[in-house]
Amino acid sequence: MNVQRISHIFFKELSIDFRQKYAIGGIFLFSAALVYIIYKAYNVIQPREWTILIWLIMLFVGLSAIVKSFVQESKNTFLYYYTLFNPLELIVAKLMYNFLFLWLLFIIIIGLLYFFSGYPVKDNILFYTGSAWGIMGMSIIFTFVSVISSSDSGSSTLMSILALPLVLPILLLLLKISAVSVRLISDTSVWDDVWMLAGIDSIMLGAIMMLFPGLWRN
Amino acid sequence: MKGKWWKFSGAVIMIYVILMGMLTPLKPGITATSPSSSKSGSEVEITVKGYNTHFKSAGDHRAWLKLDSVHTIPVSMIETLSETDAKLFFDIPDAFPDGSRMNPLTLIMDNEMDGAFVQPNALFVTVSDSLNGDAGPWKKELAGQFHQNDAFMFPFRNILNETIRNTFFHVAIWFAMFLLLMAGLYHAVMYLKTQKIEHDFQSSAFNRIAIMYGILGLMTGSVWAKFTWNAFWTPDVKLNMTAVALLIYLAYLVLRGAGQDTDRRAKISASYSIFAFLALIPLVFVIPRMTDSLHPGNGGNPALGGEDLDHTLRLVFYPAIVGLTLLGLWMTNLLIRYEKLKDYFLSQNKNEQG
Repeated sequence: MNVQRISHIFFKELSIDFRQKYAIGGIFLFSAALVYIIYKAYNVIQPREWTILIWLIMLFVGLSAIVKSFVQESKNTFLYYYTLFNPLELIVAKLMYNFLFLWLLFIIIIGLLYFFSGYPVKDNILFYTGSAWGIMGMSIIFTFVSVISSSDSGSSTLMSILALPLVLPILLLLLKISAVSVRLISDTSVWDDVWMLAGIDSIMLGAIMMLFPGLWRN
Repeated sequence: MKGKWWKFSGAVIMIYVILMGMLTPLKPGITATSPSSSKSGSEVEITVKGYNTHFKSAGDHRAWLKLDSVHTIPVSMIETLSETDAKLFFDIPDAFPDGSRMNPLTLIMDNEMDGAFVQPNALFVTVSDSLNGDAGPWKKELAGQFHQNDAFMFPFRNILNETIRNTFFHVAIWFAMFLLLMAGLYHAVMYLKTQKIEHDFQSSAFNRIAIMYGILGLMTGSVWAKFTWNAFWTPDVKLNMTAVALLIYLAYLVLRGAGQDTDRRAKISASYSIFAFLALIPLVFVIPRMTDSLHPGNGGNPALGGEDLDHTLRLVFYPAIVGLTLLGLWMTNLLIRYEKLKDYFLSQNKNEQG
């Protein structure tokens, strides 16, 4: 593990994405269009719907954003990477990149929703701490599923089939945390749920770092 | 016969569990009483509906209404109509020891054939306004010793009634499922370590049988829930987390079905099943313990133990776990042999064609 090499891989990802502007632009357009459709369908979005919708949008936008991290690269590129990188450094860089990418998407979606129909969150510290852990879990699970389905053709359907059940526990906890932070329900022990999310994240992180080197060797 | 002893013992244990679990009668109990409320200072006539009781054939009947450990009202007259129907007459005192307006009373009955049995909160007594009335009928304790009923019977629990027998199937299936999943996890780890295809067959077969047990566990649970909680599905946290866990494992089946070459598929499904098992731990062991649940062991309900799992139930419950696990092993064994044969014939076909 070398921080400098990890940062090199990280910036490589960034520069690839910004050179192919259509991919990254497509994701942003996807989320903007989704938010707009939902706004027009509701006209006024109540706090209850707001908390549900933000995570549903994040789920589908995040899924389509992270598919590309392993699935879209060709076999030859993999072979080339294989000669270049240590697998652990590669997966750590990819995870960091995906996490920051999802976090950026999250902020953009919140901004768009704020622009169209307001911002009901009352407890910002709880909301953003919980969301950060949740998005980290999402990025770990989506990356893992992307690695698994990368080899197969027809993989984007396989990816969503595998990813949705795995991400469900995280999503359920996130829905509860955001419901508390917009004061829909009150729960004095909600911080336990935040630590629960952090615990799930660390289990998943350990698993992916343990399994990736073996999976990648193809 | 050699090497097959565990298959036979599994079958024998399951036959024992089914016979013992279904044929052992329940202890006597009370299913319904009426009326459910009354006023202080009045005379009440309580109609009791018994279950497995011997009101007519037993002679030495006694009954009490109990407020707390030092305040009871003895019955004034008992009229037995049939083996399961009786009428009890009580004189409710004018004054109650503490000032509360509503007082729940527990009905205790006892006779020499059935032993003692209770109906909690059988009668709610509203105290009228005059506080300084006659407190004469209150007795300090239950007069005399209870009769003992030493017959081998399962405990009678209110609401549960006969469905208490589902403990041997519903609860034991979850235990067996976890043991099978752990075996599947072990073989998944061993496959990644040794790359032997044998472990892949084992791991997938264990996981598939465990998934089947999971579905059976949910089904027996939801039938039980219909009879005790009055709905097949409730928002109870354990049910929903189990549903999520089952979805994760069903995705495993989809992954196994996706057409890939054997080694690649083995590696991917071994990795996925390790990941899925790790995702299962917080789902099944941690989150339900943080939230209230209708299940025993959560939200202040007693766990396995106490009267819910007394020594008579244990005598069937523990063998049920062993029996279901052995049957699961047997089914896994058959599945592995089937997969191996399929693999063998497929490769033979390929050789002939090639």
